[in-house]
Amino acid sequence: MESTKIRGSVLEKNLHIIFPMPAVVFVVVMMLFPVLYTFFLSFTNWNLTSGAPPSIVMLRSYQRILREPRFLAALGRTFSFTALAVSVETLFGTIVALILNREFKGKGFIKLMMLLPLVSTPVAIGIAWNLFYDPTIGLANFVLIQLGLPKMAWTGSPSTVIPSLALVDIWQWTPMIALILLSGLASLSSEPYESARVDGASEWQIFWKITLPMLMPTMLTALILRSIDALKTFDIIYAMTGGGPGYSSETLNIMAFKYSFEYFRMGQASVILVFLFLVVLFMSLLIVRMRRSLEL
Amino acid sequence: MRTSWIKKGLFVVVLLAIVVPLLFPFLWMLASSFKTQVDIVAWPPRLIFTPTLQNYERVFREQNFLRYFINSSIIGISAVGLSLLMGLPAAYSIARFKQKRLSIFILIARLMPGISFLMPWYIIFSRLKLMDSYVALILSHMLITLPIIVWIMSSYFESIPVEMEESAMVDGATRQRAFLAVVLPVAGPGIVTAVTLSFIFSWNNFMFSQVLSMEKTKTLPIAIYNFVSYAEVDWGAVMAAAVAIMAPAIILTMVFQKYVVRGLTMGAVKG
Amino acid sequence: MKGRYVLLILAALALFSAGAQQKEIRVLLANHPYGDLLKTAIPEYEKATGVKVNVESLQESQLTTKLTTEFATRSSTVDVFMTRPLQEGKMFYKNGWYEPLTGYDFSDYPKNALDVATFGNKAYIVPLVTEWEVLYYRIDLFKKAGLAVPTNFTELEAAAKKLNSAEVAGFASRGKGAAAVTQLSSYVYNYGGTYLDKGKAAFDSREALEAIRFYGKMLANYGPAGVTNMSWENIMPLFQAGKVAMWTDASVFYGQIIDPAKSQVPAENVGIANFPAGPKGNTPFIVVSWGMAVAKQSKNKALAMDFIKWATSQSLAKRGMLANITMARNSVWKDPEVRAKINPGLISTQEYAAKYGVPYDRPYMSAVGEARDLIGEVIIESINTAGASTKLDALAKEKSAAVNALLEDTGEYGVY
Repeated sequence: MESTKIRGSVLEKNLHIIFPMPAVVFVVVMMLFPVLYTFFLSFTNWNLTSGAPPSIVMLRSYQRILREPRFLAALGRTFSFTALAVSVETLFGTIVALILNREFKGKGFIKLMMLLPLVSTPVAIGIAWNLFYDPTIGLANFVLIQLGLPKMAWTGSPSTVIPSLALVDIWQWTPMIALILLSGLASLSSEPYESARVDGASEWQIFWKITLPMLMPTMLTALILRSIDALKTFDIIYAMTGGGPGYSSETLNIMAFKYSFEYFRMGQASVILVFLFLVVLFMSLLIVRMRRSLEL
Repeated sequence: MRTSWIKKGLFVVVLLAIVVPLLFPFLWMLASSFKTQVDIVAWPPRLIFTPTLQNYERVFREQNFLRYFINSSIIGISAVGLSLLMGLPAAYSIARFKQKRLSIFILIARLMPGISFLMPWYIIFSRLKLMDSYVALILSHMLITLPIIVWIMSSYFESIPVEMEESAMVDGATRQRAFLAVVLPVAGPGIVTAVTLSFIFSWNNFMFSQVLSMEKTKTLPIAIYNFVSYAEVDWGAVMAAAVAIMAPAIILTMVFQKYVVRGLTMGAVKG
Repeated sequence: MKGRYVLLILAALALFSAGAQQKEIRVLLANHPYGDLLKTAIPEYEKATGVKVNVESLQESQLTTKLTTEFATRSSTVDVFMTRPLQEGKMFYKNGWYEPLTGYDFSDYPKNALDVATFGNKAYIVPLVTEWEVLYYRIDLFKKAGLAVPTNFTELEAAAKKLNSAEVAGFASRGKGAAAVTQLSSYVYNYGGTYLDKGKAAFDSREALEAIRFYGKMLANYGPAGVTNMSWENIMPLFQAGKVAMWTDASVFYGQIIDPAKSQVPAENVGIANFPAGPKGNTPFIVVSWGMAVAKQSKNKALAMDFIKWATSQSLAKRGMLANITMARNSVWKDPEVRAKINPGLISTQEYAAKYGVPYDRPYMSAVGEARDLIGEVIIESINTAGASTKLDALAKEKSAAVNALLEDTGEYGVY
C-alpha cells in the first residue's frame, strides 16, 4: 500500500518526463536516427548494385550531384511547382472563404463537399486525372474542343506538364486553405467592423483595412504549411507522370526516390535527401519563428 | 424585392461554381467505374451508357482487393492505436507543462519529407528481415499518425480547464489518476478528431508502403498503382478500385464531418 | 551392451527426424501470365515430389528491388526466382547472385536466346518467354486506303501519312523516354546502329541518330497527341478504341488487342506483320523477356535444380503456348496442337525474328535503368522537334558520355 503510493508520487513528480517519453523515444529512433544515418551515407559512394560495402568519399557525392544538371533542374522545378500551386490555392481559397463567410442554407453541405478532395487517396486521384488528361480519349480535350479551343497534350508535353500537375494539387488543396481561412474569419472580433460601419466605411475599404490585416497571420501560416506539403508532393507526380516526359516533372522528392529505389545509388540519393531536408527544415523553422512572433 | 432575388440567384450560381468543379472528378470516376472498357475509350465521351458491375466484380473477385483492404485496415488501426497510447500522455504533458520545444520536435516529424527516413528504414528493415512485415509497415505509418495525434490532442487538452484536474487532485488523486479518470473522459471529441484524421492519412499513404510492402502486406494505394500491370490496362477496373479505396475515407468524413474540419484547420487557427 | 542401445536409439532418432523434416524451397515469381500458370501447376509438383514450394509473386519492378536487397544485404532465403536477363542479368551475374546451371539441357533453345543467359562459358539463366517487335495494323483502314502492308521504313512513312487524320493517328510507338528505348532498338538496328558497341556507348553514331530522328519525325507528324508521355499502357487503349492505324511494339500485346471484351476494333480488322526493314536490312529485336535462375545463396541447390527443370520443362512450355504465352523453347513452336491454335501471324513473325533478330532491345549493362533514362532524353528531344533538332547530335554525345561514365563506374567500359 505504502509502496504503491510512493511509486505513484515518484511518477507524479516526473510526469512531465515520463508521459512524453515513449513518444519521444519513438520519434528519435524512427526519425532522428534515420536522418543522421542519411547524413552519414551522403559522405559515401554506396551503391547497392555494386555488391561492395559503403566506402567513405567525403564530399565527392556532393560534388557529383551538384554538378548534375538534372539535380539543379529538379531543385528549381520543386520550387516553381510549389510557387504556382500554392499561390493559386491561396488566391482561390481566400475568394471562396470570403464568399462562404455568411450564414446560408446548405453551408454545412458545401463544407462537407470541400472536405472530399482533402481526404481522397492521392494515388487514386492521380490515376483518375490521367484518364481526364489523356490527349486522345480524355474529357479535358473534349471540353476544350467544345469551347472551340485547340487540343492540349496536358501531362504529355514538357511545357504543360507542371501546370497540369499543379492543377490537380490546386483542385485537391484549395479547399484546405478555404476552410482554414473560413475558421480564421469566424474567430475575428466584430468590434472593428462595427466602429468602421459607424464611420461609414465601404465594404471594399472594410475588406482592405480590417479583414485582410486581421486575417494575415492565419493566411501566412496556412500558406507556409501548404508550401511545405507542396515541396514534398510525391504521390500525384509519381502516379501521373513518374517525373516525365523525360525529367520534365521530376522534383527533388521524385529524383531521390529514383536514385534510391530504382538506381540503388544510396550515397548520391542521400545527398539529394540532405538538400530536400534542408529546404523543408528552413521552411519549418520559418513557421516556428512566425508562430512565436505572432503569438499564435 | 427584385434585387434581393437577383442577389440570391447570383449567390446560388457562385456556389455552384464552387461545388461543381469539386465534385465533378468524383462523379466522373463513379460513372467510369460502371462502364465497360469499350464505353470508356469511346469518343466523344459517353454520358449515357448501360451500367455494368463487371469492374467491381473483377476488382474484388480476381484481384484480391479484399485482402488489401484487410492489410490497409490492420496497418491503419494498429498504427492509430499504438500512436494513441504514446501520443495521449505526450500531448497531455505538452499541454499542461507548456513543453513548447517538445511540441516543435514532434511537429517537425509531421513536416519532414517522408523519403528522408524511408531510405534508411529500407536498409535497416531488410537487414532485420522485416521487409514486407506488418511490424515495418505499422512502425512507418506510426510516424504519420503519432504527430497528428499529438498535435491535435495537445491543443485540445489545453482547452480543457485545469480546474477539473485540480479539484480531483485536491480530493487526493494523483495527476496521472486525474488524467485517466477526469481528463480523458471529457476529451472524447478531440480523440475522435485525431483518430479519424490520422487513420485517413495512414489509409492514403503511398510512399512508405510502396517501398516497405511487397505481396503479403500490400496496401490499397499500392494495389491500385500496380493495377496497370503486365500487358494490361483496364480503366473501368482501375476506376472501380479507386472508388472502393476512397469510399471508407469519404464515409468516415461524412460521419465525423465536424471533427475533420476542426482537425484540418487546427494547424493554422487556434480555437 | 549399453553402447549398442545408444546407437540404436540414435539411429532411430536420425531416421525419425529425417522423415519428419519437410523439404521446402522458396520461389519468387513475377506477376506475369507464366508466373500465374506456374502457380496453378505447383500443387502437381508438390504432390509428385513431396517438396513444399513456398511461392511469392511480385510485380516486376518490386521483384527486382526485393531480390537486389535480399542478395545485397545477404539476408536471402530465395532458392529459385524469375528474372529479366536484359534488365538485371548483368548486374546479378557480376555480383555473383546467380548459380551456374551445369547439367541443364539447353539444346531446345534458340542460340540468340542463350546469348544473354550465358556468361563466360557457363549458362546461368533458363530462358522462359520471348518477345519480338512487330507491326500491328488495321486491316480495314489499309483496305479502304488501298494500301499494302509496309515492308520498309519508306512505305511505313507513306502509309502513316495517308492514314493519318484528325480522328485516327497514322502511326504510334512508345514515346515515353526510357520506355521507348526498347521499341526504338529495332529502328536503330535497321539503320545499322546499336546502343552499345564493344562496351562503349554508340547511340551518338550517325546511324543511330538517323534512326532516332526518323522515330521522332514519325511520332511527331503522325503519332497520337502527348506521345512523349506514352508507354504501351497508354497506346494500347488507343489502338483498342480504333484511334491508331499502325503500332510498332512487342508481340505480347496481340492477345489484348484482339480481345472483343476490351477492344472496339473487331479481331478480323487487326493485322500483325513483320517489323519493316530499314536502309540496312531487317533485324528486329527478339529478346528473352523472362528467365528463371537458381540463387547462389540457396541452401537447397539440389532441390532448386530439380524444381527449375520442372518449371521450365517442355510440357509446361506447351501449356504456356496454349495459354497464348510466347515461350522460348524451339520445340513447342513446332507442336501441331500449338500451331493449330496460335495465330499464323504470330508464328511467322516469330520465325523471322528467331532467325534474323538481335537478342537485345536495350543497352545491356548493369546500370541499365539509368542508361535508359539518358537515352530517353534524346528520344524526347527528337520527338519534340519532329526529328529536326539541331541540338540532337550534341545532346546524344553528352548522353553517351554519361552512359560511358556509368559503364566505368561498374567496370564495364570497353569490356565485352
